[in-house]
Amino acid sequence: MQELRVGFVVNPVAGMGGRVGLKGTDGLADRARALGAEPTAGARATAALLPLAGRPLRFVTAGGGMGEAALSAAGIAGFDCVYRPAVPTTALDTRAACRAILEQGVDLLLFCGGDGTARDVADAVGRAVPILGIPAGVKMYSSVFAVDPAAVGAVVPTDGPLRCTDAEVIDVDEAAYRANDLRTVLHAVVRTPVAPGLVQATKQVFEEADEDRARAAIGAFIADAMLPGVLYILGPGTTTGAVGRHLGLETTLLGFDAVLDGRLIKADLDENALLAQLEMVGEARLVLSVIGAQGFVLGRGTQVCTPSVLRRIGPRHLLLLGTPGKLVRTPALHIDTGDPALDAAFGPHLQVVTGYGTAQRKRVGGDPAAPIMGERNG
Amino acid sequence: MQTKIHLDEDEMPRRWYNIQADLPAPLDPPLNPKTGVPVTPGDLSAIFPAELIRQEMTAARFVDIPDEVIDILRLWRPSPLFRARRLEEYLKTPARIYYKYEGVSPAGSHKPNTAVPQAYYNRQEGIERLATETGAGQWGSALAFATCHFEMDCTVYMVRSSYAQKPYRKMMMQVWGAECHPSPSILTASGRAVLEKDPNTPGSLGIAISEAVEDAANHANTNYALGSVLNHVCLHQTVIGLEAREQLASVDEYPDVVIGAVGGGSNFAGIAFPFAGDKLTGKKPEVELIGVEPAACPTLTKGLYAYDYGDVAGLTPIMKMFTLGHDFVPPDIHAGGLRYHGVSPIVSRLVRDGVARAVSVYQNEVFDAAQTFARTEGIIPAPEAAHAIRTAIDVALECRRTGEARTILFNNTGHGHFDLASYEAYYAGILPDYDYPEELIRDALSRLPKVG
Repeated sequence: MQELRVGFVVNPVAGMGGRVGLKGTDGLADRARALGAEPTAGARATAALLPLAGRPLRFVTAGGGMGEAALSAAGIAGFDCVYRPAVPTTALDTRAACRAILEQGVDLLLFCGGDGTARDVADAVGRAVPILGIPAGVKMYSSVFAVDPAAVGAVVPTDGPLRCTDAEVIDVDEAAYRANDLRTVLHAVVRTPVAPGLVQATKQVFEEADEDRARAAIGAFIADAMLPGVLYILGPGTTTGAVGRHLGLETTLLGFDAVLDGRLIKADLDENALLAQLEMVGEARLVLSVIGAQGFVLGRGTQVCTPSVLRRIGPRHLLLLGTPGKLVRTPALHIDTGDPALDAAFGPHLQVVTGYGTAQRKRVGGDPAAPIMGERNG
Repeated sequence: MQTKIHLDEDEMPRRWYNIQADLPAPLDPPLNPKTGVPVTPGDLSAIFPAELIRQEMTAARFVDIPDEVIDILRLWRPSPLFRARRLEEYLKTPARIYYKYEGVSPAGSHKPNTAVPQAYYNRQEGIERLATETGAGQWGSALAFATCHFEMDCTVYMVRSSYAQKPYRKMMMQVWGAECHPSPSILTASGRAVLEKDPNTPGSLGIAISEAVEDAANHANTNYALGSVLNHVCLHQTVIGLEAREQLASVDEYPDVVIGAVGGGSNFAGIAFPFAGDKLTGKKPEVELIGVEPAACPTLTKGLYAYDYGDVAGLTPIMKMFTLGHDFVPPDIHAGGLRYHGVSPIVSRLVRDGVARAVSVYQNEVFDAAQTFARTEGIIPAPEAAHAIRTAIDVALECRRTGEARTILFNNTGHGHFDLASYEAYYAGILPDYDYPEELIRDALSRLPKVG
């Protein structure tokens, strides 16, 4: 089998803010160090690499704590070092290292960090190569992370092709997060490997082709169900984007767009622009994708979906979209509009459209564990 | 205390019960898909033998079961009726729960009850091969078993996703001498048309029916066989309810509630029609009949009562029934046998007239019930059968609340030994609760041009 080329980047300061209560380390590595935080990302990276030692893999990495050290500690000698970072490292180094690695040609980019690192990696590589995160950050709302460092070995294929799916990189506003205000925004949609056998129980391994097919079906269904005179607000993400594509509209990937009678009225709306659009029509529907690994249904987290906007549209006019592959990795949905009464108005379950004329019922919040004997029957 | 209530082989019903005789008004006639006028026996003769066409249309209250058929049914019939005392105790219900167990047949489900007579009548009329479709493989394996007893060939078009995911049913068909192809296939024009549009399609029951019907229509020695929906299929399944009524009578019982899962409607028909007949004729006006369908494919609870095709290509007669639209492809629930857009015209009529009622249930609550049943009564049920178990448990729990000691009868249509992967998914917590986006579908349909 041909040798798989794996790019490898560690953000050596990732996770340091967590131990000292900083809820993230973006721009705060020095303060974390002053508070006594120790770097942990290197050790987690090494743990993830151990099962990969001895496999026919060629690593392309950055020097010192950005990759080289963890590879050596895991007993892996087969790597090329293509970038020398400044010390201490910053986000600039992550992006520059990724670009240097990309130039060498890799099949997969493995990185170690959290949401902030994922954001930098995504900015540098986009959809050019699949990326996979070794979880070592404070916040990991993006869906590009392996469940734990040890699982990385199972995701990197030992034979056969690398099978991929779409995944969202979530941007969390750290300043707001420190004030217990979770604001999540979809930052980018990247490619990430799926593990053959990871979801063996259903014998369904969702690959890019399946996901594309499902997205196209969802897009066609929603487009067919659009009623004349009703305003449709399409939220961020590739699944909502499929609705626009089916209608032949140039919608934005990351913003909120207004569609009326099959035409794009206004793209990339902010709250005020949206409220102004809502003033002009009788009825509206909000079309959202399920975002991120934790199943967030965007609420408070965006500029647009404020409680006043959601009340104006009405909770029962939320159209939620998600591909089956996405939902199999999403045990429950979460709504947090900042207004508990409004949250409750969405009910204990939400329907997620998963194909043409098909949907799934998903639990909102609560314990995602499967029902146990006697839960309902006892 | 008695757990199993048996009948002797010579107490097996000698006649099927035809509920058409007791309907207050005759069924709306099936229409020819090409001309739109009522189907004549001649229209059906290209794909069905004369005797089955007669049974499809007859108003006679009883139809004799041929001795040759009874001889084969004897391999497992009469099937046992169980009193589910351990389940009752676990639920702390005053209700008495009985179930008919059809998993004792060689194919492991109720399907051979009609596969055997269908093969027999076709063989009687010189047919050498049967073509059919199968979803999860229950029907395909039953027909393979039946044709092998009459030295006939059998070609099964199996929905492609199941063909790949459920290899064991395919192997059973092979053991009994049938040929099994993934559908859509390149063997038929209907299959090729679908593949041209979408080479990676997972297939559907509606597509597979089109292929089997086309195969039968194009070969003089070949007929088509359908495992559910049609009147003659429901007729053959009434042995279940007829036996159950005798078995219950032998312990001085008559059910207050009769429950069966509904896909195409034949197992529900089998357990419920004899009791529905008692209700229609005023002998037992109070008996309650409940059909249980998946929330993913809620034909009776959310469908339209209208004329529709039985298949995707529009080759079957147009029937008046509850339907979700013949182009609706239900999501891939584990109860593959319940993934059908329509439902038997007779079952539809009974529900429309309020003689029977329907409920819909989600996949996880179905497996929750299946597990409870397996841990109390021992049998690991098929996901289809578990739909009936779910509702039987719900009725029994309602009895606990009200203190009513109702007698519940449900149809346990088969074992789940080839469905264990679905249990695995349930335990992994990744079993989706498929739903039906009713409002969006209504919106989408409201924009379609009106035809016909």
